[in-house]
Amino acid sequence: MGLTGNGARIDGVNPAHIVAVRDFSSETLMAIAAHLDVSTDFEHLVYREAELDAVWSLSGFTLSQTQDSAVARLHEAAHRAHDLVGEGRPREAAALLRKFF
Amino acid sequence: MLSHEENHLLTHTKPGTPAGAYFRRYWLPALLAGEVPAPDCPPVRLRILGEDLIAFRDTQGRVGIVDEFCPHRRASLFWGRNEECGLRCVYHGWKFDTTGACIDMPNEPPEYGFDNKVRITAYPTREYGGLIWIYMGPTEHVPELPKLEWARVPETHRYISKRFQETNFLQAIEGGIDSSHSNFLHASVEAFRVTDDYVEKVKNSSNLRARYHLLDKAPRFTVKKTDYGLVIAVRRNAEEDTYYWRLTQFLLPSHTMIPYQKGLSIHGHCWVPRDDETCWVWTMSWNPDAPLSEEEWKAIREETFVHARVEPSTFRPLRNKDNNYQIDRSRQQTESMTGIHGFAAQDQALQESMGPAVDRTRERLGTSDTAIIAMRRLLLQEIRALQENQEPAAAHHGDVYWVRSASLVLKREVPFDEGARDLTVAEV
Repeated sequence: MGLTGNGARIDGVNPAHIVAVRDFSSETLMAIAAHLDVSTDFEHLVYREAELDAVWSLSGFTLSQTQDSAVARLHEAAHRAHDLVGEGRPREAAALLRKFF
Repeated sequence: MLSHEENHLLTHTKPGTPAGAYFRRYWLPALLAGEVPAPDCPPVRLRILGEDLIAFRDTQGRVGIVDEFCPHRRASLFWGRNEECGLRCVYHGWKFDTTGACIDMPNEPPEYGFDNKVRITAYPTREYGGLIWIYMGPTEHVPELPKLEWARVPETHRYISKRFQETNFLQAIEGGIDSSHSNFLHASVEAFRVTDDYVEKVKNSSNLRARYHLLDKAPRFTVKKTDYGLVIAVRRNAEEDTYYWRLTQFLLPSHTMIPYQKGLSIHGHCWVPRDDETCWVWTMSWNPDAPLSEEEWKAIREETFVHARVEPSTFRPLRNKDNNYQIDRSRQQTESMTGIHGFAAQDQALQESMGPAVDRTRERLGTSDTAIIAMRRLLLQEIRALQENQEPAAAHHGDVYWVRSASLVLKREVPFDEGARDLTVAEV
Protein backbone atom coordinates (compact mmCIF):
# COMPACT_ATOMS: atom_id res chain seq x y z
CA MET A 1 0.00 0.00 0.00
CA GLY A 2 3.05 2.25 0.05
CA LEU A 3 2.30 3.98 3.36
CA THR A 4 5.34 5.30 5.14
CA GLY A 5 5.47 5.37 8.90
CA ASN A 6 8.56 7.16 10.16
CA GLY A 7 10.66 5.83 7.37
CA ALA A 8 9.40 2.28 7.29
CA ARG A 9 7.32 1.15 4.36
CA ILE A 10 4.38 -1.07 5.16
CA ASP A 11 4.72 -2.95 1.91
CA GLY A 12 7.99 -4.79 1.41
CA VAL A 13 8.59 -4.65 5.15
CA ASN A 14 12.10 -5.62 6.19
CA PRO A 15 12.16 -7.05 9.72
CA ALA A 16 15.89 -6.34 9.98
CA HIS A 17 15.11 -2.63 9.82
CA ILE A 18 14.46 -0.79 13.08
CA VAL A 19 11.49 1.56 12.91
CA ALA A 20 12.48 5.04 14.01
CA VAL A 21 10.10 5.67 16.88
CA ARG A 22 9.78 9.41 17.32
CA ASP A 23 6.16 9.37 18.50
CA PHE A 24 3.29 6.98 19.07
CA SER A 25 1.20 8.11 16.13
CA SER A 26 -0.94 5.70 14.13
CA GLU A 27 1.71 5.69 11.42
CA THR A 28 4.39 4.62 13.85
CA LEU A 29 2.19 1.92 15.38
CA MET A 30 1.24 0.66 11.92
CA ALA A 31 4.88 0.41 10.95
CA ILE A 32 5.77 -1.50 14.12
CA ALA A 33 2.79 -3.84 13.68
CA ALA A 34 3.77 -4.53 10.09
CA HIS A 35 7.30 -5.37 11.20
CA LEU A 36 5.96 -7.58 14.00
CA ASP A 37 3.97 -9.57 11.46
CA VAL A 38 7.10 -10.62 9.58
CA SER A 39 9.54 -10.95 12.47
CA THR A 40 10.82 -14.44 13.10
CA ASP A 41 14.49 -14.39 14.09
CA PHE A 42 16.09 -13.52 17.41
CA GLU A 43 17.43 -10.30 15.92
CA HIS A 44 14.05 -9.23 14.58
CA LEU A 45 12.39 -9.76 17.93
CA VAL A 46 15.09 -7.73 19.65
CA TYR A 47 14.41 -4.81 17.26
CA ARG A 48 10.67 -5.08 17.87
CA GLU A 49 11.25 -5.13 21.60
CA ALA A 50 13.36 -1.99 21.28
CA GLU A 51 10.62 -0.25 19.27
CA LEU A 52 7.95 -1.21 21.80
CA ASP A 53 10.23 -0.09 24.61
CA ALA A 54 10.43 3.27 22.87
CA VAL A 55 6.62 3.51 22.48
CA TRP A 56 6.20 2.60 26.13
CA SER A 57 8.80 5.18 27.15
CA LEU A 58 7.31 7.98 25.03
CA SER A 59 3.76 7.27 26.16
CA GLY A 60 5.02 7.13 29.74
CA PHE A 61 6.62 10.54 29.38
CA THR A 62 3.34 11.91 28.07
CA LEU A 63 1.40 10.39 30.95
CA SER A 64 3.75 11.99 33.44
CA GLN A 65 2.66 15.38 32.03
CA THR A 66 -1.02 14.81 31.51
CA GLN A 67 -3.64 12.17 32.27
CA ASP A 68 -5.10 10.86 29.04
CA SER A 69 -7.02 7.63 29.12
CA ALA A 70 -6.25 6.75 25.50
CA VAL A 71 -2.53 7.23 26.07
CA ALA A 72 -2.78 5.25 29.28
CA ARG A 73 -4.37 2.36 27.38
CA LEU A 74 -1.68 2.51 24.73
CA HIS A 75 1.00 2.61 27.42
CA GLU A 76 -0.40 -0.56 28.95
CA ALA A 77 -0.78 -2.20 25.55
CA ALA A 78 2.81 -1.38 24.61
CA HIS A 79 3.93 -3.06 27.82
CA ARG A 80 1.87 -6.15 27.07
CA ALA A 81 2.99 -6.22 23.44
CA HIS A 82 6.60 -5.93 24.61
CA ASP A 83 6.13 -8.93 26.88
CA LEU A 84 4.49 -10.91 24.07
CA VAL A 85 7.52 -10.27 21.89
CA GLY A 86 9.73 -11.46 24.75
CA GLU A 87 7.65 -14.62 24.80
CA GLY A 88 8.17 -15.11 21.06
CA ARG A 89 4.58 -14.12 20.10
CA PRO A 90 5.05 -11.14 17.76
CA ARG A 91 1.86 -11.58 15.77
CA GLU A 92 -0.22 -11.38 18.94
CA ALA A 93 1.68 -8.22 19.80
CA ALA A 94 0.82 -6.80 16.37
CA ALA A 95 -2.84 -7.57 16.89
CA LEU A 96 -2.75 -5.73 20.18
CA LEU A 97 -1.23 -2.65 18.57
CA ARG A 98 -3.78 -2.67 15.76
CA LYS A 99 -6.49 -1.78 18.26
CA PHE A 100 -4.90 1.67 18.40
CA PHE A 101 -5.05 2.68 14.76
CA MET B 1 12.15 -2.60 30.34
CA LEU B 2 12.14 -5.94 32.05
CA SER B 3 9.50 -7.39 34.28
CA HIS B 4 10.37 -7.76 37.92
CA GLU B 5 10.58 -11.53 37.44
CA GLU B 6 12.96 -11.25 34.48
CA ASN B 7 15.12 -8.72 36.30
CA HIS B 8 15.33 -11.02 39.30
CA LEU B 9 16.07 -14.04 37.12
CA LEU B 10 18.96 -12.29 35.36
CA THR B 11 20.63 -10.68 38.32
CA HIS B 12 20.66 -13.29 41.08
CA THR B 13 23.54 -15.73 40.90
CA LYS B 14 23.87 -17.24 44.36
CA PRO B 15 23.75 -21.03 44.71
CA GLY B 16 20.36 -22.44 43.79
CA THR B 17 19.37 -19.63 41.42
CA PRO B 18 18.83 -20.20 37.66
CA ALA B 19 21.36 -17.55 36.62
CA GLY B 20 23.75 -18.89 39.23
CA ALA B 21 23.42 -22.35 37.70
CA TYR B 22 24.11 -20.83 34.28
CA PHE B 23 27.29 -19.02 35.35
CA ARG B 24 28.38 -22.21 37.07
CA ARG B 25 28.54 -23.92 33.65
CA TYR B 26 31.55 -21.80 32.60
CA TRP B 27 35.13 -21.29 33.63
CA LEU B 28 35.27 -17.87 35.30
CA PRO B 29 38.24 -15.62 36.06
CA ALA B 30 38.83 -15.82 39.81
CA LEU B 31 42.26 -14.36 40.61
CA LEU B 32 45.25 -12.75 39.02
CA ALA B 33 47.90 -15.46 39.05
CA GLY B 34 50.05 -13.00 41.00
CA GLU B 35 47.62 -13.04 43.92
CA VAL B 36 48.92 -16.51 44.79
CA PRO B 37 52.43 -15.99 43.41
CA ALA B 38 54.44 -18.88 44.89
CA PRO B 39 54.11 -22.28 46.55
CA ASP B 40 52.93 -22.06 50.16
CA CYS B 41 52.25 -18.32 49.85
CA PRO B 42 49.57 -16.76 52.05
CA PRO B 43 45.99 -17.77 51.20
CA VAL B 44 43.62 -15.13 49.86
CA ARG B 45 39.92 -14.53 50.29
CA LEU B 46 37.60 -14.19 47.35
CA ARG B 47 33.86 -14.09 46.77
CA ILE B 48 32.31 -15.29 43.52
CA LEU B 49 28.62 -15.93 42.76
CA GLY B 50 27.84 -15.23 46.39
CA GLU B 51 30.20 -17.90 47.72
CA ASP B 52 32.98 -17.02 50.15
CA LEU B 53 36.11 -18.92 49.20
CA ILE B 54 39.80 -19.20 49.98
CA ALA B 55 42.49 -19.67 47.36
CA PHE B 56 45.95 -21.02 48.02
CA ARG B 57 48.89 -22.36 46.04
CA ASP B 58 50.24 -25.54 47.55
CA THR B 59 53.83 -26.72 47.88
CA GLN B 60 53.75 -28.24 44.40
CA GLY B 61 52.36 -25.08 42.81
CA ARG B 62 48.79 -26.34 42.42
CA VAL B 63 46.07 -23.77 43.09
CA GLY B 64 43.17 -24.77 45.28
CA ILE B 65 39.98 -22.80 45.80
CA VAL B 66 37.92 -24.05 48.71
CA ASP B 67 35.05 -22.97 50.94
CA GLU B 68 36.27 -20.24 53.26
CA PHE B 69 35.01 -21.95 56.37
CA CYS B 70 36.45 -25.04 58.03
CA PRO B 71 33.76 -27.74 58.25
CA HIS B 72 34.69 -28.39 61.88
CA ARG B 73 33.66 -25.23 63.70
CA ARG B 74 33.22 -22.88 60.73
CA ALA B 75 36.34 -20.84 61.43
CA SER B 76 37.76 -18.95 58.48
CA LEU B 77 40.59 -20.65 56.62
CA PHE B 78 41.91 -17.22 55.74
CA TRP B 79 43.88 -17.57 58.98
CA GLY B 80 45.10 -20.97 57.84
CA ARG B 81 48.71 -22.04 57.49
CA ASN B 82 49.67 -23.01 53.93
CA GLU B 83 52.10 -25.87 54.48
CA GLU B 84 53.26 -29.16 52.95
CA CYS B 85 50.63 -29.55 50.24
CA GLY B 86 47.66 -28.37 52.22
CA LEU B 87 45.96 -25.54 54.06
CA ARG B 88 45.74 -26.13 57.80
CA CYS B 89 43.05 -24.49 59.91
CA VAL B 90 44.90 -22.97 62.83
CA TYR B 91 41.93 -23.40 65.19
CA HIS B 92 42.14 -27.19 65.67
CA GLY B 93 44.62 -28.26 63.01
CA TRP B 94 42.38 -29.80 60.36
CA LYS B 95 44.21 -29.71 57.02
CA PHE B 96 42.82 -29.78 53.46
CA ASP B 97 44.46 -30.33 50.10
CA THR B 98 43.57 -28.57 46.83
CA THR B 99 40.90 -31.18 46.05
CA GLY B 100 39.13 -30.49 49.33
CA ALA B 101 40.15 -33.77 50.99
CA CYS B 102 40.89 -33.57 54.70
CA ILE B 103 44.40 -34.98 54.93
CA ASP B 104 45.08 -34.43 58.61
CA MET B 105 42.90 -34.16 61.69
CA PRO B 106 45.28 -34.18 64.65
CA ASN B 107 42.67 -33.50 67.33
CA GLU B 108 40.68 -36.70 66.66
CA PRO B 109 41.89 -40.21 67.58
CA PRO B 110 43.34 -41.73 64.38
CA GLU B 111 41.48 -45.01 64.89
CA TYR B 112 38.17 -43.19 64.26
CA GLY B 113 39.32 -42.47 60.67
CA PHE B 114 37.34 -39.26 60.83
CA ASP B 115 39.67 -37.45 58.47
CA ASN B 116 38.90 -39.88 55.64
CA LYS B 117 35.23 -38.97 55.84
CA VAL B 118 35.52 -35.20 55.81
CA ARG B 119 35.75 -32.98 52.75
CA ILE B 120 35.52 -29.28 52.21
CA THR B 121 33.89 -27.84 49.07
CA ALA B 122 36.69 -27.39 46.52
CA TYR B 123 36.39 -26.21 42.94
CA PRO B 124 38.56 -27.12 39.95
CA THR B 125 40.99 -24.42 38.88
CA ARG B 126 43.13 -23.71 35.82
CA GLU B 127 45.96 -21.27 35.31
CA TYR B 128 45.46 -19.66 31.91
CA GLY B 129 46.29 -16.31 30.37
CA GLY B 130 47.79 -14.89 33.56
CA LEU B 131 44.68 -15.68 35.58
CA ILE B 132 43.42 -18.40 37.87
CA TRP B 133 40.08 -19.65 36.55
CA ILE B 134 37.46 -21.48 38.56
CA TYR B 135 34.71 -23.91 37.60
CA MET B 136 31.91 -24.03 40.15
CA GLY B 137 29.46 -26.33 38.37
CA PRO B 138 28.63 -30.02 38.35
CA THR B 139 31.54 -32.36 37.74
CA GLU B 140 29.76 -34.08 34.86
CA HIS B 141 29.62 -30.84 32.86
CA VAL B 142 33.16 -29.46 33.08
CA PRO B 143 33.43 -27.00 30.16
CA GLU B 144 36.32 -26.06 27.88
CA LEU B 145 38.39 -22.99 28.59
CA PRO B 146 37.41 -20.21 26.17
CA LYS B 147 39.95 -19.70 23.41
CA LEU B 148 40.26 -15.98 23.97
CA GLU B 149 42.99 -14.14 22.10
CA TRP B 150 44.23 -12.19 25.10
CA ALA B 151 44.81 -15.43 26.98
CA ARG B 152 47.01 -16.78 24.17
CA VAL B 153 49.41 -13.87 23.63
CA PRO B 154 52.80 -13.76 25.39
CA GLU B 155 52.79 -12.07 28.79
CA THR B 156 54.71 -9.11 27.39
CA HIS B 157 51.87 -8.45 24.93
CA ARG B 158 49.12 -8.01 27.51
CA TYR B 159 48.08 -6.28 30.70
CA ILE B 160 45.19 -7.44 32.88
CA SER B 161 43.69 -5.56 35.78
CA LYS B 162 40.96 -6.41 38.24
CA ARG B 163 38.69 -4.02 40.07
CA PHE B 164 35.83 -4.25 42.50
CA GLN B 165 32.60 -2.62 41.43
CA GLU B 166 29.70 -1.92 43.74
CA THR B 167 26.93 -2.96 41.34
CA ASN B 168 25.34 -6.11 40.09
CA PHE B 169 27.25 -7.55 37.14
CA LEU B 170 24.43 -6.96 34.64
CA GLN B 171 24.47 -3.18 34.70
CA ALA B 172 28.25 -3.33 34.32
CA ILE B 173 27.94 -5.48 31.17
CA GLU B 174 25.26 -3.14 29.89
CA GLY B 175 27.76 -0.31 30.10
CA GLY B 176 30.29 -2.42 28.24
CA ILE B 177 28.08 -2.93 25.19
CA ASP B 178 26.32 0.43 25.14
CA SER B 179 28.10 2.22 22.34
CA SER B 180 26.09 5.43 22.48
CA HIS B 181 27.18 6.40 26.00
CA SER B 182 30.74 7.09 24.92
CA ASN B 183 29.62 10.11 22.89
CA PHE B 184 28.72 11.70 26.19
CA LEU B 185 30.28 10.05 29.22
CA HIS B 186 33.75 9.70 27.72
CA ALA B 187 33.73 12.83 25.57
CA SER B 188 35.69 15.99 25.93
CA VAL B 189 33.66 19.17 26.12
CA GLU B 190 34.87 20.29 22.69
CA ALA B 191 34.02 16.92 21.16
CA PHE B 192 30.56 17.00 22.70
CA ARG B 193 29.96 20.50 21.36
CA VAL B 194 31.55 19.57 18.02
CA THR B 195 33.45 22.83 17.96
CA ASP B 196 35.14 24.00 14.77
CA ASP B 197 38.48 23.55 16.48
CA TYR B 198 37.63 19.94 17.30
CA VAL B 199 36.49 19.13 13.77
CA GLU B 200 39.64 20.69 12.37
CA LYS B 201 41.77 18.71 14.81
CA VAL B 202 40.28 15.30 14.01
CA LYS B 203 39.35 15.59 10.35
CA ASN B 204 42.52 13.93 9.14
CA SER B 205 43.17 11.74 12.18
CA SER B 206 44.14 8.13 11.52
CA ASN B 207 42.30 7.23 14.72
CA LEU B 208 38.83 6.42 13.45
CA ARG B 209 37.23 6.84 16.85
CA ALA B 210 38.55 10.37 17.14
CA ARG B 211 37.62 11.16 13.58
CA TYR B 212 34.08 9.85 13.36
CA HIS B 213 32.79 8.48 16.61
CA LEU B 214 31.90 11.67 18.39
CA LEU B 215 30.48 13.47 15.39
CA ASP B 216 27.44 11.24 14.94
CA LYS B 217 25.68 11.07 18.28
CA ALA B 218 22.77 8.91 17.19
CA PRO B 219 24.29 5.67 15.94
CA ARG B 220 22.27 2.85 14.36
CA PHE B 221 22.46 -0.61 15.90
CA THR B 222 22.43 -4.05 14.36
CA VAL B 223 22.81 -7.25 16.37
CA LYS B 224 23.50 -10.78 15.24
CA LYS B 225 23.30 -13.92 17.32
CA THR B 226 26.42 -16.05 17.02
CA ASP B 227 27.89 -19.27 18.42
CA TYR B 228 29.62 -17.33 21.19
CA GLY B 229 26.87 -14.82 21.93
CA LEU B 230 26.30 -11.61 20.01
CA VAL B 231 28.08 -9.33 17.63
CA ILE B 232 26.86 -5.79 18.01
CA ALA B 233 27.45 -3.58 14.99
CA VAL B 234 27.08 0.14 15.47
CA ARG B 235 26.97 2.37 12.44
CA ARG B 236 27.80 6.05 12.31
CA ASN B 237 27.98 8.36 9.35
CA ALA B 238 31.53 8.87 8.09
CA GLU B 239 31.97 10.48 4.67
CA GLU B 240 29.19 10.97 2.13
CA ASP B 241 29.56 7.47 0.73
CA THR B 242 30.86 5.63 3.79
CA TYR B 243 29.85 4.50 7.25
CA TYR B 244 32.06 4.12 10.31
CA TRP B 245 31.31 0.73 11.86
CA ARG B 246 32.20 -0.40 15.36
CA LEU B 247 31.81 -4.10 16.05
CA THR B 248 31.84 -5.38 19.58
CA GLN B 249 31.24 -8.87 20.86
CA PHE B 250 29.29 -10.09 23.83
CA LEU B 251 30.66 -13.54 24.61
CA LEU B 252 28.77 -15.82 26.96
CA PRO B 253 28.45 -15.68 29.83
CA SER B 254 29.90 -12.20 30.43
CA HIS B 255 32.88 -11.23 28.25
CA THR B 256 32.89 -8.14 26.05
CA MET B 257 35.33 -6.57 23.61
CA ILE B 258 35.87 -2.93 22.79
CA PRO B 259 36.00 -2.15 19.05
CA TYR B 260 39.56 -2.45 17.88
CA GLN B 261 41.35 -0.56 15.15
CA LYS B 262 44.12 -2.44 13.37
CA GLY B 263 47.51 -1.27 14.62
CA LEU B 264 46.34 -0.24 18.09
CA SER B 265 46.02 -2.49 21.14
CA ILE B 266 42.79 -4.37 21.82
CA HIS B 267 40.77 -4.08 24.99
CA GLY B 268 38.13 -6.27 26.55
CA HIS B 269 36.37 -7.03 29.79
CA CYS B 270 34.97 -9.92 31.73
CA TRP B 271 32.31 -9.10 34.32
CA VAL B 272 32.03 -11.72 37.05
CA PRO B 273 29.29 -11.61 39.67
CA ARG B 274 30.83 -11.34 43.13
CA ASP B 275 27.41 -11.43 44.73
CA ASP B 276 24.08 -9.90 43.75
CA GLU B 277 25.20 -6.36 44.52
CA THR B 278 28.87 -6.31 43.53
CA CYS B 279 31.00 -7.65 40.72
CA TRP B 280 34.58 -8.12 39.59
CA VAL B 281 35.56 -6.15 36.53
CA TRP B 282 38.41 -7.79 34.64
CA THR B 283 40.01 -5.55 32.04
CA MET B 284 42.38 -6.88 29.40
CA SER B 285 44.57 -4.93 27.00
CA TRP B 286 46.63 -6.80 24.47
CA ASN B 287 48.60 -6.40 21.29
CA PRO B 288 48.57 -9.58 19.23
CA ASP B 289 51.65 -8.59 17.26
CA ALA B 290 54.11 -7.03 19.68
CA PRO B 291 54.85 -6.22 23.31
CA LEU B 292 52.76 -3.37 24.66
CA SER B 293 54.37 -0.08 23.68
CA GLU B 294 55.57 2.62 26.04
CA GLU B 295 52.58 4.70 24.97
CA GLU B 296 50.25 1.88 25.94
CA TRP B 297 51.96 1.43 29.31
CA LYS B 298 51.67 5.17 29.88
CA ALA B 299 47.90 5.01 29.30
CA ILE B 300 47.71 2.16 31.81
CA ARG B 301 49.84 3.96 34.42
CA GLU B 302 47.97 7.21 34.03
CA GLU B 303 44.52 5.52 34.02
CA THR B 304 43.47 7.47 30.96
CA PHE B 305 41.51 4.67 29.36
CA VAL B 306 40.11 1.37 30.61
CA HIS B 307 42.32 0.53 33.58
CA ALA B 308 42.04 2.03 37.05
CA ARG B 309 44.41 2.05 39.97
CA VAL B 310 43.11 0.05 42.92
CA GLU B 311 43.77 -0.57 46.57
CA PRO B 312 45.96 -3.70 46.32
CA SER B 313 44.24 -5.95 48.85
CA THR B 314 40.59 -5.15 48.11
CA PHE B 315 40.91 -4.14 44.43
CA ARG B 316 38.61 -1.22 45.14
CA PRO B 317 39.52 1.67 42.82
CA LEU B 318 41.27 4.61 44.44
CA ARG B 319 38.70 6.81 42.70
CA ASN B 320 35.48 5.54 44.27
CA LYS B 321 32.11 6.70 45.50
CA ASP B 322 33.46 7.65 48.92
CA ASN B 323 35.56 10.40 47.32
CA ASN B 324 33.11 11.13 44.48
CA TYR B 325 35.60 9.51 42.11
CA GLN B 326 37.81 12.57 42.67
CA ILE B 327 35.62 14.65 40.41
CA ASP B 328 37.11 17.97 39.39
CA ARG B 329 34.24 20.37 38.72
CA SER B 330 36.46 22.98 37.09
CA ARG B 331 37.67 20.40 34.58
CA GLN B 332 34.07 19.43 33.99
CA GLN B 333 33.42 23.01 32.91
CA THR B 334 36.32 23.23 30.54
CA GLU B 335 37.73 19.83 29.58
CA SER B 336 35.73 16.64 30.02
CA MET B 337 32.03 15.95 30.28
CA THR B 338 32.43 14.34 33.70
CA GLY B 339 35.41 15.97 35.34
CA ILE B 340 36.33 12.43 36.38
CA HIS B 341 39.66 11.11 35.20
CA GLY B 342 39.76 7.93 33.10
CA PHE B 343 37.14 5.89 31.28
CA ALA B 344 37.09 3.19 33.96
CA ALA B 345 36.24 5.62 36.76
CA GLN B 346 33.72 7.42 34.55
CA ASP B 347 31.91 4.15 33.84
CA GLN B 348 32.07 3.05 37.44
CA ALA B 349 30.74 6.37 38.74
CA LEU B 350 27.66 6.31 36.56
CA GLN B 351 26.96 2.61 36.95
CA GLU B 352 27.28 2.76 40.73
CA SER B 353 25.05 5.84 40.81
CA MET B 354 22.22 3.60 39.51
CA GLY B 355 22.30 1.67 42.79
CA PRO B 356 23.65 -1.80 43.45
CA ALA B 357 20.92 -3.49 41.39
CA VAL B 358 18.94 -1.22 39.11
CA ASP B 359 15.17 -1.61 38.95
CA ARG B 360 14.66 -2.29 35.26
CA THR B 361 10.88 -2.07 35.53
CA ARG B 362 11.33 1.71 35.84
CA GLU B 363 13.74 2.38 33.00
CA ARG B 364 12.81 4.10 29.73
CA LEU B 365 14.64 2.47 26.85
CA GLY B 366 14.78 3.53 23.23
CA THR B 367 16.07 2.02 20.03
CA SER B 368 19.62 3.10 20.91
CA ASP B 369 19.43 0.45 23.66
CA THR B 370 19.10 -2.39 21.17
CA ALA B 371 22.38 -4.02 22.20
CA ILE B 372 21.35 -4.05 25.85
CA ILE B 373 17.97 -5.55 24.99
CA ALA B 374 19.63 -8.23 22.86
CA MET B 375 22.14 -9.18 25.56
CA ARG B 376 19.42 -9.50 28.21
CA ARG B 377 17.18 -11.50 25.88
CA LEU B 378 20.02 -13.86 24.98
CA LEU B 379 20.98 -14.43 28.62
CA LEU B 380 17.32 -15.03 29.52
CA GLN B 381 17.04 -17.59 26.70
CA GLU B 382 20.21 -19.33 27.83
CA ILE B 383 19.20 -19.41 31.49
CA ARG B 384 15.74 -20.73 30.67
CA ALA B 385 17.19 -23.34 28.32
CA LEU B 386 19.41 -24.63 31.10
CA GLN B 387 16.35 -24.82 33.34
CA GLU B 388 14.99 -27.16 30.65
CA ASN B 389 18.23 -29.19 30.84
CA GLN B 390 19.74 -27.79 27.63
CA GLU B 391 23.41 -27.31 28.37
CA PRO B 392 24.99 -24.06 27.06
CA ALA B 393 26.79 -24.90 23.83
CA ALA B 394 29.43 -22.17 24.05
CA ALA B 395 30.71 -23.56 27.36
CA HIS B 396 31.75 -26.75 25.57
CA HIS B 397 33.19 -25.17 22.43
CA GLY B 398 36.15 -23.02 23.45
CA ASP B 399 37.05 -22.41 19.80
CA VAL B 400 34.02 -20.18 19.23
CA TYR B 401 35.71 -17.50 21.35
CA TRP B 402 38.43 -17.04 18.73
CA VAL B 403 37.15 -13.67 17.57
CA ARG B 404 38.21 -10.07 17.63
CA SER B 405 36.36 -6.78 17.74
CA ALA B 406 36.79 -4.29 14.91
CA SER B 407 36.22 -0.75 13.80
CA LEU B 408 36.42 0.25 10.20
CA VAL B 409 35.05 2.46 7.46
CA LEU B 410 33.06 0.76 4.73
CA LYS B 411 31.27 1.89 1.61
CA ARG B 412 27.64 2.40 2.47
CA GLU B 413 26.47 -0.46 0.28
CA VAL B 414 28.78 -3.04 1.94
CA PRO B 415 27.19 -5.07 4.76
CA PHE B 416 29.31 -4.94 7.89
CA ASP B 417 29.64 -8.69 8.27
CA GLU B 418 31.08 -8.98 4.77
CA GLY B 419 33.34 -5.96 5.05
CA ALA B 420 34.71 -6.93 8.45
CA ARG B 421 34.98 -10.69 7.94
CA ASP B 422 38.79 -10.84 7.89
CA LEU B 423 39.18 -8.41 10.77
CA THR B 424 36.99 -10.22 13.26
CA VAL B 425 39.03 -13.40 13.47
CA ALA B 426 41.75 -13.58 16.11
CA GLU B 427 45.24 -14.14 14.75
CA VAL B 428 47.69 -15.23 17.41
